[in-house]
Amino acid sequence: MDSVCNEELEKLNKGNIRIINRDDEDFPQKLKEIHNPPKRLYIRGNLDGSINLNNKNIAIVGSRNMSTYGKEMARKLARDLSKAGVNIISGLAKGIDSQAHKGALEAGGYTVGVLGCGINVTYPRENIDLYTEIDKKGCIISEYGLDVKSFPGNFPMRNRIISALSDGVIVVEAKRKSGSLITAEYALEQGKQVYAVPGRAYDSNSEGTNNLLKMGALCVTSADDVLWDLMGGEMCRNANNFIDKEDDSKKDDLLNNRGDMNDIEKMIYDFLDLEPKYIDDIIQKSGIGITNTISTLYIMEEKNIIKQPVKGYYIISI
Amino acid sequence: MYSKVLCCAVYGIDGIAVNVEADIHDGLPTFTMVGYLSSSVKEAGERVRTALKNSGYYLPPKRITINLSPADLKKDGSGFDLPISIAVLMSLGIVPEVDMENTVIIGELSLNGRVNSVPGILPMIHYCYKKGINCCVVPKVNQEEAGLIQGMKVIGVETLQEAVDYIQGMSDVSPYINTNKFIDEDICYNVDFSEIKGQQVLKRGMEIAAAGFHNVLMTGAAGAGKSMIAKRLPTIMPRLTFEESIEVTKIYSINGMLPDSGALIYERPFRSPHHTISNYALIGGGRVPKPGEVSLAHNGVLFLDEIPEFNKNVLEVMRQPLEDRKITISRVNASYVFPADFMLVAAMNPCPCGFYPNMKKCSCSSIQIKRYQGRVSGPLLDRIDMNIEVKPIEYDELFSNGFEENSMSIRERVEAAIKIQRKRYKEDGINFNSQLDGKLIKKYIHLGEKEEKMLEKSFKTMELSARGTHRILKLSRTIADLDGSKEIGEKHLMEALFYRNGIKNKEN
Repeated sequence: MDSVCNEELEKLNKGNIRIINRDDEDFPQKLKEIHNPPKRLYIRGNLDGSINLNNKNIAIVGSRNMSTYGKEMARKLARDLSKAGVNIISGLAKGIDSQAHKGALEAGGYTVGVLGCGINVTYPRENIDLYTEIDKKGCIISEYGLDVKSFPGNFPMRNRIISALSDGVIVVEAKRKSGSLITAEYALEQGKQVYAVPGRAYDSNSEGTNNLLKMGALCVTSADDVLWDLMGGEMCRNANNFIDKEDDSKKDDLLNNRGDMNDIEKMIYDFLDLEPKYIDDIIQKSGIGITNTISTLYIMEEKNIIKQPVKGYYIISI
Repeated sequence: MYSKVLCCAVYGIDGIAVNVEADIHDGLPTFTMVGYLSSSVKEAGERVRTALKNSGYYLPPKRITINLSPADLKKDGSGFDLPISIAVLMSLGIVPEVDMENTVIIGELSLNGRVNSVPGILPMIHYCYKKGINCCVVPKVNQEEAGLIQGMKVIGVETLQEAVDYIQGMSDVSPYINTNKFIDEDICYNVDFSEIKGQQVLKRGMEIAAAGFHNVLMTGAAGAGKSMIAKRLPTIMPRLTFEESIEVTKIYSINGMLPDSGALIYERPFRSPHHTISNYALIGGGRVPKPGEVSLAHNGVLFLDEIPEFNKNVLEVMRQPLEDRKITISRVNASYVFPADFMLVAAMNPCPCGFYPNMKKCSCSSIQIKRYQGRVSGPLLDRIDMNIEVKPIEYDELFSNGFEENSMSIRERVEAAIKIQRKRYKEDGINFNSQLDGKLIKKYIHLGEKEEKMLEKSFKTMELSARGTHRILKLSRTIADLDGSKEIGEKHLMEALFYRNGIKNKEN
């Protein structure tokens, strides 16, 4: 028995893992408020009161198999919310979750990853870099013991922690039957706001989110929508990088950049959206020949108004 | 009595002179052959004796010794029969001892005295011609091939008797003159670039690749037209020069792959081996090494379709020929050098299902995609200058009647660009921009201040390597040459950056 304990202890020490019980002082207050809070949490990184009552937390969740649109939206929302001082909570899974964490880290914000497996298990493996970065700049939480594998049944339970920790849940992209809808359900149960990013009517990737909107979720197309709802106009105005909706003189970066574009760049920009467009189609549209189109695209990419998610395919940069 | 005639053997893709000596003197009647012979040459003794008898010459019961020199070279092949018979007849005094210093004799004998064809005539005759030998006696079947060497007096013989008559000066065998002169007209290909609808970026990429002999990797879904365009690549490449043509024909001659017409090969080779190919078939091999696909594609295109499906080993052995533009194959008795200056055109699907980046159709996980793309090793990718993403065309494009440029007008531009390069690199022993190495890049590629800055910026944002930067410089040089521009401008650099081989697509 002793040896088992020692082994566990060693693992905890080695991974810098702390255990917080429900009655401990630094156990997140928000988690205590739900009807089935976890008995204890395994924690890596710093919790330093960031998830406490006063701070605002937003969960950004969505499907693992995302489209470019979902990817860009998740990243952008996370980045902008982080800039405004909001903590980003997500599940460290592939797809939207990873993008949310990445966006938050990019903006230098605080982010929390809630795992559906043991805290010393990296799942999925490809997220190892992200995992270590969150460990340093944010925190990773799990209610499961060490070495617990990522059983499919764990994830819905994990989702209740995600929603419990946050003040609102944004579903960026979800198919009709998606795990992120479970998170939204928990959020409603726990009395949290549910936000959804709209998609196209017949886009299967957005079927779940569109359904949420039909059922009364708040429609979100930018971080401001969330900030307004979350904090009201007053706090919003103070928030970093916030653009006042009534003040037309202040346009955001993107629109500022648009002013600099020449006619051809504008035309190409208007042609592009968040759905990757192949270079040949852009050449055809622009009608200025291959070489000129390529140089124009290069200049636009340099200005960071468009980007290539895959070589040869372009989207607008948001 | 002693006699000597000159013969030739194939060594690598060149010939090597072999002296055939015969001596007849008193003693126990034997027929001995010495000189490090392979079994096919040892058997020549039996063929020669019978062929002589059936041609009406009886060997006296004397001791006959044949020696093939140089003695340290393993003699292989069947072309020694005819020279051995002539040497024996000379020793017997049947054939007068005329001056044979400048005549090379090659041919295989049938038992009835007929002269059969021999592979590799062109490299042998080419070699002899370079050594100053100006007359050859070859099998009649091979006379067209030998006649490709202008200035060589070619005597095609059908039987042993004819050869004897010629040397005795008794017959009026007139030298063969190959009327298939090196044609300076256009070759008609049965495929053309104008058959490809749309795909402008791909076509432009191919034009650049052909103009600088850059290796290309095409990535795109099945049915996007990757193979189709690769097959048409030779049609926009410049015509083979006479020297190149001889080189190519020599390689095909050794492998016995020449067409019957005996004409030189004018078309740029296009080789497209299946992905089940073995190491040796690709780079060449065998006990006496024969050229492999990389050499058969010399001065032309080696197209590897579905490159991730190739055996990893097979791809790795290609690294050396890609770098050195030749392949050295070593065997116990010798090492052989075959030329392998080819343009590598590779094609692959972006993922196992083939639809990435179309996320609606692609069912592969990002790990699967990474693993699939990882099958082509970094060092190999490092030798490929260009990477072109290909997207399948849409229905309306397929049936549009839009104007598509034909191969000939593209080739004109390519040829102009190549002319500039040939002139520029005249003293450096290279022909194309793709062959520039670090030192030569420093010598020939100078960027303006603006361009320098741009490259520096891209180096950081695109995470280029030193080699990657060299590749971009070479590529932009070709694009500038196509443009007829002396300096590399921003536009050229931008296009080069667009076509760069980014090694791997990063997911995030």
